[in-house]
Amino acid sequence: MSFLAQRPMPYCRGCGHGLVARRLDEALGRLGLDPKRVVLTTDIGCVGLVDPLFPALHTVHTIHGRSTAVAAGAVLADALCAEGGLTNVVMLGDGGATIGLLHLTQAALMNVDLTVLLHNNMLYGMTGGQHSALTPEGFRTSTTLAGNWLPALDLEQVLRGCHGGFYARQLATDRELAGVIAEAIAYPGFALVEILELCTGFGVPLNALDGKALRAAAAAEGRALGVRIRRTDRHPYHALYRERFPVRAEAPPPAPAAPAGPFAHRLARPLGVVVAGSAGERVQTAAAVLAQAAVLSGLHCVQKNDYPVTVGSGFSLSEVKLAPAPILYTGIDAPDAVLLVSADGLREVRGRGDLDRQAPDGVVIVDESLAGELPPGRALAAPLRRALPADAAALGAVALLVARTGLLAREALLAAVDAIGGKDAGALRAAVETGAALGA
Amino acid sequence: MTARADIRLRSGNQMVVEGALRAGCRFFSGYPITPASEIYREMTQRLQARGDVAVGAPDEISALCYCIGASQRGVKALTATSGPGWALMIEAFQYALMTETPLVVALVQRLGPSTGGATQSAQGDVLLAECAVSGGYTVPVFAPSTPGECFALTVQAFNWAEALRTPVVLLSDKDVAMTYEAVDLGALPDVPVWTRQSPPFAPVGGPRKVTLTGSAHNKDGWLRKNDPETLDVLRQLEAKVAARAAELALLTEDLDAGAGTVVVSYGVTARAAREAVRAARAAGRRVSFVGLQTLFPVPADALRAAVGGARRVVVAEENLGGLYRRVLAGALPGVELCGVNKLGGMIRPAEILEAL
Repeated sequence: MSFLAQRPMPYCRGCGHGLVARRLDEALGRLGLDPKRVVLTTDIGCVGLVDPLFPALHTVHTIHGRSTAVAAGAVLADALCAEGGLTNVVMLGDGGATIGLLHLTQAALMNVDLTVLLHNNMLYGMTGGQHSALTPEGFRTSTTLAGNWLPALDLEQVLRGCHGGFYARQLATDRELAGVIAEAIAYPGFALVEILELCTGFGVPLNALDGKALRAAAAAEGRALGVRIRRTDRHPYHALYRERFPVRAEAPPPAPAAPAGPFAHRLARPLGVVVAGSAGERVQTAAAVLAQAAVLSGLHCVQKNDYPVTVGSGFSLSEVKLAPAPILYTGIDAPDAVLLVSADGLREVRGRGDLDRQAPDGVVIVDESLAGELPPGRALAAPLRRALPADAAALGAVALLVARTGLLAREALLAAVDAIGGKDAGALRAAVETGAALGA
Repeated sequence: MTARADIRLRSGNQMVVEGALRAGCRFFSGYPITPASEIYREMTQRLQARGDVAVGAPDEISALCYCIGASQRGVKALTATSGPGWALMIEAFQYALMTETPLVVALVQRLGPSTGGATQSAQGDVLLAECAVSGGYTVPVFAPSTPGECFALTVQAFNWAEALRTPVVLLSDKDVAMTYEAVDLGALPDVPVWTRQSPPFAPVGGPRKVTLTGSAHNKDGWLRKNDPETLDVLRQLEAKVAARAAELALLTEDLDAGAGTVVVSYGVTARAAREAVRAARAAGRRVSFVGLQTLFPVPADALRAAVGGARRVVVAEENLGGLYRRVLAGALPGVELCGVNKLGGMIRPAEILEAL
């Protein structure tokens, strides 16, 4: 059976695009596919005129170069969220392959189950015969009138680099093209068929080519014809995905830590706390414990973290705002408490100006090693890093603050540690106890 | 807080994920970018845990194109990005609009232009989101200001994407997205979820032949030039949104009928604005507050009603020159429009108070 409309081809006389459409139609017929389960995804360029030729198939005409990515999304959704078994054939030109190369390589790497028919006529035909990345060396185009001085991208090698499972290079006039297209469609994974053609509008007049020129051009570039890659060791992406991520009901989130509260608090107005130290010293965990303890005490709270892009070096800083009423503005303009456990943290806080903006009755708690950096009497210095491991000093400072001010119950901090501490809950509990003792 | 409360610290990004899952999103594709990466990470964990699709893309263009393909196949899809990634997505976003492909882009703003400041807050992409489409077509844009709104507006974004068959932008900002806040997960708003219907959405690969193209096309989806029907199709792309503008208008109002001044804001700044209004009232001033959850289509009628007889409207937003204030200039004739604007950090309530 044929899916090809009985209408004239829209292409220039002698253009290979029409031949490819006929061979595709033959291939679909041989495979006996249900047309409603076949999507033709087409790219920009003359190749994109193919859609109306296949009125029985779903046709998706995309933007330039993106056809492969749109098709990949449809295939993955079909295979993993719907009934599966969709056939998706992408038709694009050498221009589409150039601008959308990353989509081709990614689909090959993932081994998305789709077939790409690359109509390589070695130039951009629709826009006036400009050269592409697939234009062979010496080939004349409207933008390389003296001959292209760069070699063409070798897609076979590209596909090998992507572990591509199926690659064929054929001429549009090859008798076996329909069979190769059928094999590519049937291949369980990503299949690329590069079809060499001549653009009769620009390629032929500029290069004085004849019917044998294509074969000669391929030979000159050392490009062999036929099915060049046919791997059986790769599995389609959707099959691997399903193996790793089977369909199942999502586990409910762990039960809330609600039974531990509510604990008493002594907060009458919003309170802003800034905790700062060095990356990797669990400053954000300390802040999260404070925030969680506030939640367990029936308070409202927000937490924000700041750190350099390197994540593992320099400062780490958290802001926690607690309030008895819902919090509107989440910033802390004048921190009520600043906790500094390392020189990195002090440097960052100085840069931000937190200490300058602090309220007159504000609290500053620092590790003893930083005491000399601040005016006498400005800060409460404690042996946080001596009494605790470096990565527990920040939580120790939080516990010290809570003990000194009586804002929250120590039990609230401990319950927060239990709620969010995971396997480190033991060490974190010890930090709370030690910090509280330093504040006693 | 109720005895059965399930209060947890959640960021805006995490609540976007909760909203997407509530809305029935089964497909996510993303590319890492601060401050949106948390959505990518959590959608990956949550969707893979149930066997739905989360796929890392080699760039933002791929991410959006994967989502487009998935949605055309009939599956609700989400991607998340920030300004630089959004810039790459714009061509594919237009394609989604032209092919009437429903999907949601969570656009988490950060300081621009260009790479700008990855972890610095801004509300600078308001017009870049809305004006991303050539020809003046309205892109629905929702702007949450709290984790709770991130949840509710993500569901709304999916609903309107389905109802209008169009891509929708959920426009948050770094300080909404990356701030953790106590949220009662047991008391999330019960936003109804809309599905593809009336007429039934015809997915590619389904029993009804589908014809899609990003080129100007007739009602059957075939590329046509010089055909009046093609222009009708283009007009319909806008008319379908305009026809439901009143339903799309979501606002938070705290009005004083006798107020001479109304403070209008959105996103993280709406929170500071509301605090400023409270402070002004405490000082005896008569001021109203309007928080915009829908930025586009411009909720002009609702805003005019809220402004009432007030002579002055103060628009607070974290950008230069007042991007949304420019939009409101046409919607609120005869009102004195002032701006509170700032670059590089959250606007403080005191800064808004100064303008009142």
